[in-house]
Amino acid sequence: MKWYAGIDAGSTYVKAVLIDSDKKIHGYKIAPTGIDVRNTAKILLNEICRDDGICFEDINTVMSTGYSRRQIDVAHENITEIKAHAAGALWTAPEGEKVRTIIDIGGQDSKVIVISEKGEVKNFVMNDKCAAGTGRFLEALARVLELSVVEIGPLSLKSKSPCRINSTCVVFAESEVISLLARGKKPMDIIAGVHRSLAKRISEMARKAGLESDILLAGGGGLNPGLVSAFEDELMMDVYVACNPQLNGAIGAALIAGNSNKPQPEARLKTD
Amino acid sequence: MNKEIKGRTDRNQLQGRIDRFARGIARSSEMVLTELEENPDRPNNLDYFIDLMRDVFVRNRWAERFMQYADNKKIIGIYCMMVPEEIIYAAGAIPVRFSGGSYEASCVGDEHVPRDTCPVVKASVGSMYMGYPSPCEICDVLIVPTTCDAKRKMGEELSRHKEVWMLEVPHIKDNEDSKRKWLQQLYGLKRNIEKYTGRGFIGSKIGRKELDASIRVIGRAQYEARRLYEIRKSPMPVVSGREAALVFNAYCYDTAPEWTKAISRLNDELETRCRNGFSVCKKDIPRILLAGCPSVFPNWKIPFLIEEMGAVIVADESCTGDRYLYDPVGVTEKTMTGMMTGIAARYLMPCVCPSFAPNEDRLYRLLQMSEEFGVDGIIYHVLKGCVIYDFELIRVEKTLKEKDIPVLRIETDYNPEDIEQLRTRIEAFVEMLVTKKTKT
Repeated sequence: MKWYAGIDAGSTYVKAVLIDSDKKIHGYKIAPTGIDVRNTAKILLNEICRDDGICFEDINTVMSTGYSRRQIDVAHENITEIKAHAAGALWTAPEGEKVRTIIDIGGQDSKVIVISEKGEVKNFVMNDKCAAGTGRFLEALARVLELSVVEIGPLSLKSKSPCRINSTCVVFAESEVISLLARGKKPMDIIAGVHRSLAKRISEMARKAGLESDILLAGGGGLNPGLVSAFEDELMMDVYVACNPQLNGAIGAALIAGNSNKPQPEARLKTD
Repeated sequence: MNKEIKGRTDRNQLQGRIDRFARGIARSSEMVLTELEENPDRPNNLDYFIDLMRDVFVRNRWAERFMQYADNKKIIGIYCMMVPEEIIYAAGAIPVRFSGGSYEASCVGDEHVPRDTCPVVKASVGSMYMGYPSPCEICDVLIVPTTCDAKRKMGEELSRHKEVWMLEVPHIKDNEDSKRKWLQQLYGLKRNIEKYTGRGFIGSKIGRKELDASIRVIGRAQYEARRLYEIRKSPMPVVSGREAALVFNAYCYDTAPEWTKAISRLNDELETRCRNGFSVCKKDIPRILLAGCPSVFPNWKIPFLIEEMGAVIVADESCTGDRYLYDPVGVTEKTMTGMMTGIAARYLMPCVCPSFAPNEDRLYRLLQMSEEFGVDGIIYHVLKGCVIYDFELIRVEKTLKEKDIPVLRIETDYNPEDIEQLRTRIEAFVEMLVTKKTKT
C-alpha cells in the first residue's frame, strides 16, 4: 500500500489529507494557519499519521498547495491551488454530476475554474487583490452583526426580504450594514443581502470565465447553505457542494501526488 | 530676512525630496539590473545595455555619457511612438523617449493627476516634476502626441513646466482626410524643430540630404531590431524576454547609431548561439506572447514573474517592445514631399496602439505573431486605468479562442503589493499551458 498526502496551506486555514493508492481518504485535519504555517502543517501531518498508525516515512509523496505552498518544508513538491482544485473536484463532486466549473470561496481570494472532462484547467479567473468576494468579507460582516460564521448561513435562509448591499468593499459594506441596522432592519435580512452581494460579484467573474454547468462550490464558503442558495439564485443554475468543500484543494493535491508516481528518496520531515 | 530663510528651507526641502526620490528609483532599478546580471546565461553583449540603463537610472551619469557622442546637440523629449525621430535627427537634435516605468515616480505623479490615471502617465508626470532621471531635466522641449486621453491631458499638465508641443494624431487611420491632416501636422512639427534648433531661416532648413541620411540611420536601427525579432522565433530560445525588453527600453535613452552598433554585436552573438544549438531554457517550456500595456523599465514585475514561473517570453507586442522599431519608412521618391509622406505613413498606418479605432489590424498582428513565434499562450497586461487596452481584450480573447490560444488577463499597476497573488495566477497559467503542451 502506498500513501500520499496533500497539504493546502491557505491564508486562513491549513488543511491536510492522507489518501492511499486506491484514492481512499484515511484521515484529514484542519487547523487555523496561525503565524507559523510550516509548523502548523508539520503538526497536522504528524497527527494524521499517528491517528492512522503509520509513520511519516511511509508517505510516498507530500504535495503542497495554497497561498503558502512554498513555505511547507515537509512537502516534496508544490502545485498551484488552481490545479489542485481542478483535480479535487472530480473526486469530491456528488455522484453522477459532471463538474465543469468550480467556484472556490477561500479566506483571502476567490476563484472560478473552468475544467475539461478529465479535470484539466481550461480557464480561470481570480478576484483582484482586495478582499471583496472572499470569506473574509463574510467574516467581517458577521462580526458587525455579532454572529459567528457558522450561524449566518442557516439564519439567512429564513429571510423573506433580503436587503440590498451595494458595496463590494469590506470596509464600505460594514458601514452600509451599520446604517441598515440603524434603520431597524433585521439581521437575517441583512445577512441574506450580504450573501447575495457576494454571490453577485463572483457570478460576474464566473460569466467572464465562461462558466459551464455543472457547478461545484468548494472552499470554506461551501459550508454555508445561505451562500449556496444565493449562488443558485444569482446564476440561475443548480449549484452542487463538494463533499468536504474545505478539503477540496488538499484532496486534489494528494490525488496529483498519487498520479505523479515519481520516486521520492528524501523525506524532509525532521522527527523532533 | 525671515522670508529669505524660509525660501532657503523650502528649496532645501525640495532638494532633499529630489535626492530621496533619486535614491528610490536608483534602488529599484539596480534590483532589476542586478537580477539580469546574475543570470549566468546572459549574452556578453547585453552588458552595454545594462551599463547604459545603470548610467541613466542608478549612477545619474547619463549627461556625461551622452554628451561624448552628442556634442552638445539639442535634446528633445518625446512620448509614445508616433513622433518621427527622423525629423529630429535631421535637424541635428537628438530625441529621448520618456515612458514612465518607475513606481517611485508614479507615487509622485499621484499628487498631480487624478487617481484613476494609468501608472505610465503618473510616472511620466512624476519624473518630469522631479527632474529625474536626468534627461527629464536636461531637455527643454517635449513633444506629446494626442494618443489616449491620459497622454493628451498629460501634455497639458506638463506644459506648466516645460515647453510642450502637442502633436495631433488622427484616431481614424484609413481616411484620406486623416492622412492629409497628419502630414500637415508633421510639416508643422518640422518647422517647429527647425526654429528650435536655430535653423529657422531660409537656406538652413532641414534639407533633403539630411532627412534621407536620418531615415537611413533609423532604418539601420530598425534592421537590427528586426534581426533580433527573427532570432527570437527560433524553436530554441537564445535570449530571455527580459533581456530583449531591456534592449528595446535602452533605445529610448541612447542615440540611434550607438544603439545600432551595440545591438548588432548582440545579434551576432545570438546567431552564433543559434548555430551552436545553445539555449537559455529547456526546449518544451511554454512560449509566451506578452501583449497589452507596455512593461516599461524598471517596472518588470510581469516579465520577471512569467520567466521565474517557468515560461519564456518570445515576443512582446507592446510599444516599448517589438512594435517600437518594427516598421521601416518606405520612400519611393527621394524628394522632400516623398520622404515626408513616407515618414507620415510609417508613423500612422502600421501602428496598432489601441487609441486608434477601428483597430482590427492589431488582431491580425497578434494572430500573425502567435503563429510566427510558436506561441503557446498570451499574457495580456492591463495597467490600471488603461481603458483602451482593456477594451480590446474582448476582441483579442475571442479571436484567439478560435485558434485555441489561451489568454490570461493580468490587471495591475506598479505597486509591488500584489506580487504574490499575481504569482499564483501566472504559475497556474503556465501549469495549464504545460498540461496542454504535453497532451498534444
